[in-house]
Amino acid sequence: MRNHRPGRLLAVTAAVVTTVAVTAACGGGGDPGPGGTTAAGACEPAPPGTKVELTFTSWVPGMQKTVDLWNQNNPDIQVKYTEVVGGNDGTYQAYANQIKAGTTGDLGMIEFDNLPSFRLQNGLADIGGCQPVAEGIDGYPEWTRTQVSFGEEGAVYGVPQDVGPLALYYRKDLYDAAGLKPPATWDEYAQQAAQIQAQGGLIGNFMPDQPAWFTALAWQNGARWFTVGDDGTWKVDMTDPKTLQVAEFWQKLIDAEQVNTIPGIGDVEWQALDAGQEWTLIGAPWTAKLIETNVPSGNGKWAVAPLPQWSAGGTAGGSWGGSTTVVWAGSAHPYEAAKFAMWAFGDPAALALNNENGGQFPAHTGQTDLPALSEPSAYFGGQVIWTEFAKANDQVDPSFAWGPTMTDTYDTLSNGFGQAVNGQAKLADVLGDAQARTIETMKAQAIQVG
Amino acid sequence: MTNREGAPAVAHAVEQHETGAAPPPSRGRGRGPVPVRPRRRVRHGRAVVGFLAPFVVLFAAFYLVPIGYAVVESLYTVTRVGGTFGRATEVFGGFVQYAAVFSNGPFWASIGRVLVFFVISIPLQLGLALVFALLLDSPVLRGARFFRLAFFVPYAVPGVIAAIMWGFLYAPTLSPFTLLTTSFDLLGPDLVIFSIANIVNWIFTGYNMLIIYAALQAIPPELTEAARMDGAGQWRIAWSVKIPMVAPALGLTGVFSIIGTLQLFNEPLVMRSVSSAVGSDYTPNMVVHATANIPNYNLAAAFSVVLALVTCVLSFTFLKIAGRRTLS
Repeated sequence: MRNHRPGRLLAVTAAVVTTVAVTAACGGGGDPGPGGTTAAGACEPAPPGTKVELTFTSWVPGMQKTVDLWNQNNPDIQVKYTEVVGGNDGTYQAYANQIKAGTTGDLGMIEFDNLPSFRLQNGLADIGGCQPVAEGIDGYPEWTRTQVSFGEEGAVYGVPQDVGPLALYYRKDLYDAAGLKPPATWDEYAQQAAQIQAQGGLIGNFMPDQPAWFTALAWQNGARWFTVGDDGTWKVDMTDPKTLQVAEFWQKLIDAEQVNTIPGIGDVEWQALDAGQEWTLIGAPWTAKLIETNVPSGNGKWAVAPLPQWSAGGTAGGSWGGSTTVVWAGSAHPYEAAKFAMWAFGDPAALALNNENGGQFPAHTGQTDLPALSEPSAYFGGQVIWTEFAKANDQVDPSFAWGPTMTDTYDTLSNGFGQAVNGQAKLADVLGDAQARTIETMKAQAIQVG
Repeated sequence: MTNREGAPAVAHAVEQHETGAAPPPSRGRGRGPVPVRPRRRVRHGRAVVGFLAPFVVLFAAFYLVPIGYAVVESLYTVTRVGGTFGRATEVFGGFVQYAAVFSNGPFWASIGRVLVFFVISIPLQLGLALVFALLLDSPVLRGARFFRLAFFVPYAVPGVIAAIMWGFLYAPTLSPFTLLTTSFDLLGPDLVIFSIANIVNWIFTGYNMLIIYAALQAIPPELTEAARMDGAGQWRIAWSVKIPMVAPALGLTGVFSIIGTLQLFNEPLVMRSVSSAVGSDYTPNMVVHATANIPNYNLAAAFSVVLALVTCVLSFTFLKIAGRRTLS
């Protein structure tokens, strides 16, 4: 959900402030709160006539308006909404503390890559047995259903909110002037990188501080970093041939200085784009609004093309970001909470509000019917960019799964990528280190890992 | 470098060191008949409790209890039953976490890094602070009041804001000083430690200056006057009278700086958004923060305890050395 960051520095400020607050609040009790997972059969509505009050936290801008609409129409299920800072900017740490203290409330927002971590903390309720979920979950794309069920038949640990299928943002004006077409394959991308370098530009940016971006690219190539064996043991494989192919591809571009290697999705990158340094940006739907806001000089010049493929005519995709709404295991009203979540991220009126106020690209497959998502965008030269992302969303590989300690895996990756772009390491070695460190961290958490 | 909680305790330690920590002679000794004392004691006792209670309660609630909690957490470890997403329970693990701390390469690398940082940053910082304080104290400088405030203002700017501002000045794509930032990679792996040291110095020089300046103000005017009568110039007075007299204050700022350096956090964390050379394990505090984020509270607690001990050892070693030098 990086689309909701007004600026990374601001986010860091918030993170520091939150950290201080969270550290101060660390003295919670040792009781992990009631119930690890809610039994599927236990999801019953409150008796008729009961007034139910729910709490809900997220960091989607303007979500209050969606909640207001719900509260108007559902006098018996009132939702109290709190806006918080982005997950990795402090909210995940707050959630972890709340789980430990048993004070999570009812509903919260978690990105896909952090779902396993919170499941591992026994924080999530399985709402697959709640009638509104069972009836409506098929409205979400397969890959999101796999991620929220962890592959368990009938299980649902979160309602998909929004998704981040990758596509290629490119400077149509520069491409047209140079007589180039957006690259259909990664081979073409590499060729163009050399051509663009000859013209004094850079094809794009390898963002050392955005490991989730790299993960999405490995995902596209069919990497399987985390799998679970039949005996419940985790297997970590970040150095498979698919991932290494992606790593070596970028290593060549870095070595040839054909890509930028600056921190991404923040002021440094926006300035580089505004100065016209980079010709393309591999991004997600949420990136559109950020480019539009932060790169005023690109008005009318950018366009969106499909993500380059590893084989000509391929249709593989990966997702960068995207989030879910979960019902906490400690919620006294899982039925009502699930009902609200399914409405807030499945009902056309709610999706329209989320898109209008929060810039969300909804996970729900009904998203392309939204009027707002079928309009041409002036900034992107009159292109209807959302249809491009809707296509990309259908191509996201459903069998990629996340690890249970992604925060740490990401930290190791971004530290190593930082060294790699400074010439102190190779991407392939960084992946090996990250794998070893991830296994070590999982073992320290007493997770069965083979 | 915002954490200065250690200050009062250390100040007290320095004071004690200077005075030889002789307990004040007990007042009532050998005076009056014995039976009078109990009643008085009771009355005093209540007053003492009344005055001490607010401090003791807050000190216990926000200092002793959290520290105790961290120590307890650091002695536990997690076990899990029930497969892939098995339920976790905390069990007593003895020194398991401490073994992990001592075999953790990044943590000790980060301690090494902040010690290098200390060498780069602190001599310059305290040197400048001393020079500024002496200038403010000398009769030659005009507009002392203005400069005192001007030097101190950076400390009043929140550390995070200062780091953001300097980050913008360093980043080649954002900086107005393009010639400088494009010829020197201020955010690259070689120079970034100096760039961070510069931010920290910018913030804390004025703060340390004030401490030294206060010590200068406390020098009895007779001393400098006597030196002047003996024909000493301003340089001579500064070197032979003022600096020796403020040596304890310098020692104090040295201890603050050791503590502050080991707790370095805000500035490098903010630098991460403009520099790829600052990892999430750049300083010991960042290692603790990242570990708590996993979340692995037990290991994070053990890191914290070890870090506190390292800080204690280094501070008291410094005090010992500095104290010996002052005496000799």
